[in-house]
Amino acid sequence: MAKGKKILKKFLAVFALAALLAAVVGVIYLDQAVRERFEGKRFALPAKVYARALELYAGRRLSAAEIKAELALLGYQETQQAREPGSYRWRGDGLELMTRPFAFGDGQQEALGLRVEFSGGQVSELIRRSDGQSLDLVRLDPPLIGGIYPGKNEDRVLVKLEQVPQHVIDALIAVEDRRFYSHYGIDPRGILRAVIATASGDGMQGGSTLTQQLVKNFYLTAERTLRRKFTEMVMAVLLEVHYSKPEILETYLNEVYLGQDGNRAIHGFGLASAHYFDQPVERIGVAEAALLVGMLKGPSQYSPRSQPKRALERRNLVLALMAETDTLTPEQVKTQQAKPLGIVSRAPRGTSPYPAFLQLVHRLLQRDYRDQDLRSEGLQIFTTLDPLVQRAAEEALSKRLTRLEKSRGLKSDTLQGALLVTSTQNAEVQAVVGGRDPRFEGFNRALDALRPIGSLIKPVIYLTALQQPQRYTLVTRLDDSPLVLKQAGTKDWAPKNYDKQFYGEVPLATALTHSYNVSTARLGLALGVPEVMENLKRLGIDRELPEFASSLLGANELSPFEVTQVYQTLASGGFRTPLSAIREVLSATGEPLQRYPLRVEQKSAAAPVYLLTTVMQQVVREGTARALQEFLPADLQVAGKTGTTDDYRDSWFAGFTGDRLAVVWVGRDDNEPIGLSGATGAMSVWGEMMAGLHPEPLLLPEPENLERVWIDAASGLRSEQGCRDAVEVPFIAGSAPTESVPCNPGSVGETIKGWLERVFQ
Amino acid sequence: MKFRFGHLTTMAIILLASGCTALPRPSTPWTPPPRATTQPPALPAPMPSPAEPAFIPPAEPFYIPPSAPPSVLAPSENAAVVALLQKSQSQSSAGQLDAASASLERALRIEPRNPVLWQKLARVRLEQKDYLQAENLAAKSNALAGRDQRLRSENWRIIGEARSKRGDRAGAKAAFERAERE
Repeated sequence: MAKGKKILKKFLAVFALAALLAAVVGVIYLDQAVRERFEGKRFALPAKVYARALELYAGRRLSAAEIKAELALLGYQETQQAREPGSYRWRGDGLELMTRPFAFGDGQQEALGLRVEFSGGQVSELIRRSDGQSLDLVRLDPPLIGGIYPGKNEDRVLVKLEQVPQHVIDALIAVEDRRFYSHYGIDPRGILRAVIATASGDGMQGGSTLTQQLVKNFYLTAERTLRRKFTEMVMAVLLEVHYSKPEILETYLNEVYLGQDGNRAIHGFGLASAHYFDQPVERIGVAEAALLVGMLKGPSQYSPRSQPKRALERRNLVLALMAETDTLTPEQVKTQQAKPLGIVSRAPRGTSPYPAFLQLVHRLLQRDYRDQDLRSEGLQIFTTLDPLVQRAAEEALSKRLTRLEKSRGLKSDTLQGALLVTSTQNAEVQAVVGGRDPRFEGFNRALDALRPIGSLIKPVIYLTALQQPQRYTLVTRLDDSPLVLKQAGTKDWAPKNYDKQFYGEVPLATALTHSYNVSTARLGLALGVPEVMENLKRLGIDRELPEFASSLLGANELSPFEVTQVYQTLASGGFRTPLSAIREVLSATGEPLQRYPLRVEQKSAAAPVYLLTTVMQQVVREGTARALQEFLPADLQVAGKTGTTDDYRDSWFAGFTGDRLAVVWVGRDDNEPIGLSGATGAMSVWGEMMAGLHPEPLLLPEPENLERVWIDAASGLRSEQGCRDAVEVPFIAGSAPTESVPCNPGSVGETIKGWLERVFQ
Repeated sequence: MKFRFGHLTTMAIILLASGCTALPRPSTPWTPPPRATTQPPALPAPMPSPAEPAFIPPAEPFYIPPSAPPSVLAPSENAAVVALLQKSQSQSSAGQLDAASASLERALRIEPRNPVLWQKLARVRLEQKDYLQAENLAAKSNALAGRDQRLRSENWRIIGEARSKRGDRAGAKAAFERAERE
């Protein structure tokens, strides 16, 4: 018996020891977990993505409506005095504004009081308001257009405890945890109160201290079990053992969830102040503080935007509770309760208003950064997006597609499209539209839709020809008679022209102007399909492409982005610059991490590109794209090319002015025919968009080895000025025909002059 | 009365100013081209018959005739561009080549077809020892320089220096000869 007791005692002792050991191990484990998270980086900060900063200088084309749109995007407020950073007012034709300070990659720019004069759709003068000094160049702060968020799309602006006004902390303590400064992480009285309240049917009450709430958000999942509650309490105590009250409070203020903005979760008082009041947290008042603290109970339930009445009641309750803790007098409570909510109205931003452009930025960044860093290091990404261009592009696409469906009797919402706009010389992407609903975050047709490019391939074929000036010039005769290509193992290939006719002998320039298929195919075969495709890759494609005879008529599938890269090289005179969407990346603290410098690489001699471009201007003047003149005046001398694929499945237009290149694709996601040619579909989108962007005329700088020779239009042989049908044609030096035709004088005046010349010779 | 007078003066200034802008500027390849007038859109040209062949030159010249060369001394008429050029110059002499490059790129966004800016950028790349880019940027400047011999000759010198740094002695020699011939 005694022996049995002894064994039991021993067993109990071992058991107790084991339990103690387990508890110790458990606590050590939790202790480590608590410290690890607190010692390291406490918060993952999303990368912030900015659009280009608007540059203001005398001579910049900018309408009042455009600057208004920019200020709205920046969230500048129209005020009486325009003295606060981020405010403006109109005074006659001038705009007075106080810019926001901003830390750019090249240094801090302080807030600046500015007067901007406009005349004739241009900025005419910039004047510093403080001393009337005229300024050369000022840039506004760049609009924030999105972020690259951590897993749960959490966004926040970190604040230090010193920045947070005392009334925010007072309100928080009055409502959530009155004994915060005296407890050790858990508050037995609070728990007791909660238990009694729950038992007496007053509904569930928290009873959690701020420390416990922080532990819950920081370390634990949302499950509600007794075991989890116990762990939470242990960790809360451990947190208090290791860290001071101010540290815990500061972390709490940065952690808490305070609402939703589309996909983006608003965390912390810093971002919440900006999101709801457009103010830094330092500047929010007592009523605003009470509103935010009140929302902690349920940010969507008490959202001042969607539930203003409930939010107001809740705020006023918080103010009343502040009187209970003697942080407000009853009179102050009354004054504050009488105030309106003070919420700034702003359309929900979602993750970004420009998801298609952001996708491009994200992809480019992934080449240089780990995704994890993009989502946590608070990087600042400065991009090339021009919101004014982007808006014009979005509007043109959705408006035109709707109109096309109506006028052509197509089922509504069946047409889709994509569009990119770049600057011709710098290759900066100014706009990306991935579909007719520009807010849609899914399939991005601009980057990912691979479609046959049809006649958009033709300029590459003609460039390949013109790069051999001894064989091909603009007046070389091409054969546009019926063609049948027989190849072993494949069906005969017999290309047809768009209008099913054959044109016999045609000058090279004319064949491209009217986009003749047969003569172009024959030219491509003579040059060699691999040579043409090699040139296409050189101009802008970085992957292997299948090489068929039908490639010469655009059977290869490219994305609108790839097409844009190819045409960019043409638009910049043969110099290839990788399309860029990012200018610079700064760290969270503003240190430059990476610049994306402008790089160019000459991919073609200048003269052949020059000749090709003059023909692409002729395409718009009198060829397949002549209807573009319904949108744009002829003196802009736009260069462009239409593209249409078999059975009218794809409608393309690629073209450039003096300052911008744009590529448009229109088609259906299921690849069914749409009945639109390049000119009737995509080109109308292009024209409408460009018309709204004050395009610059395309004036081509003349390359050095160029000469102009009078050519007899009928024969393509050398003629003379003044002869009938003589036209002046540019040639690469030494490539003009040597054979001449006799001169048929063009007019009476010329005849007399010619006669006199002959007489006196 | 006084108000009226002021009004008249303003009118006169506006008239003068508009008169000035209407005057054709000396055309250089990089001067911002005249604003396109917003005239009613022209009717589509009739489809030429297939028998009507040949390259038909446009009514207006679509190229810029070589004339008034852009001057390195007065590189731009745009005060913002001049300011950025000066900034890049001082950044460059302070050895801040990245910053100098950023300022030039900023200027290029305002005047993308100004060959002086491309040339300055080529110089900065040369100092950054990015010789391939220096050569390409100088070629880009050449493509926009029209017949400006001073600009062209300086571009060929940059190309020559870049080639010789890369060990291409024959190429460098050819480029320096071009610089002399310009």
